[in-house]
Amino acid sequence: MLSILKRFFGEKSSGQVARKRMQLVLMHDRMDITPDIMEALKNDIIGVLSRYMEIDNKSVKVNLEQGKDFTALISNVQVKRVYRHASN
Amino acid sequence: MAGKTIVVTSGKGGVGKTTTVANLGTTLAKKKHSVVMIDTDIGLRNLDVVMGLENRIVYNLVDVIEGKCRKEQAMIRDRKLPNLYIIPAAQTREKNSVTPEQMKTLCGDLSAEFDFVIIDCPAGIEQGFKNAIAGADTALVVTTPEVSAIRDADRVIGLLEASLLKNIHLIINRLNVKMVKRGDSMSTDDILALLSVPLLGVVPESEEVVVSTNRGVPLVHERGSKAGAAFRRIAARLNGENIAPDEDGSDGFFGRMKRLIWN
Repeated sequence: MLSILKRFFGEKSSGQVARKRMQLVLMHDRMDITPDIMEALKNDIIGVLSRYMEIDNKSVKVNLEQGKDFTALISNVQVKRVYRHASN
Repeated sequence: MAGKTIVVTSGKGGVGKTTTVANLGTTLAKKKHSVVMIDTDIGLRNLDVVMGLENRIVYNLVDVIEGKCRKEQAMIRDRKLPNLYIIPAAQTREKNSVTPEQMKTLCGDLSAEFDFVIIDCPAGIEQGFKNAIAGADTALVVTTPEVSAIRDADRVIGLLEASLLKNIHLIINRLNVKMVKRGDSMSTDDILALLSVPLLGVVPESEEVVVSTNRGVPLVHERGSKAGAAFRRIAARLNGENIAPDEDGSDGFFGRMKRLIWN
């Protein structure tokens, strides 16, 4: 009876709470990439960018960040010079 | 034609892997299929007690793998069904006394002789898990509606996919229909949306399961048990039969009205 009253006043059922929490937890678990894959990803990004611009390789940082309901790949790269024509 | 090799796994312990293996194996054997069940939980064997065969063990899985006996010597025949066997795990050995390659060979040999080879996987995702899945062509992931079981099931599904085992099905065990109706348990739909693996069946929570393991007689032998009927339906689907989906109480008229009001 108490739980019915609580729900009437806007409290979510525990089943719904569990579902919402699991959505976030699983998304986070699945995004957990091993360090060597992260390193390979970083090197590939450097490779692609280097075709278009001169970058400071040591400055490159790649991170996965967890938002409230999204995951973002955030990368900071220092650009020294942009090539006029893309070199292959 | 080679038989099906099925591993029953979960990640988390205590969600009902061994109960599932015992009931599915028994149902398939009752339908005249030849079935062998392998307990790969080395050091923590339990399939023998759940089947009521603990007094008949002479040789075990590790003895077979190490060539100390022929595989026929380690196979224990069920008390009721002459076409149902178990191979018990070793109780006093290490998990790494078996390798995935050896399991693959054994499963290959057994599936040539039996219609179904059902492998009871240990909890966890280490060596024992890798051994258990090595020789399987189908995986049944067992979970309960609890957050810890679902999270571990998701990890296991990821590892199964990484090991190129593509034929993965979900079994939701111990679903409390009353709690789903009340909104205090995740429903079948909730769990399916989270794990995105095809559902093989839902087993309702039931005291009869405890009673049947106490006696060492699988539940599917009893008539009129809801959980037993659920296991029978799962076994039929596994066998390729087309059976209507299980109900979990979330889609009744009252349940739908509740959702309408509270969502």
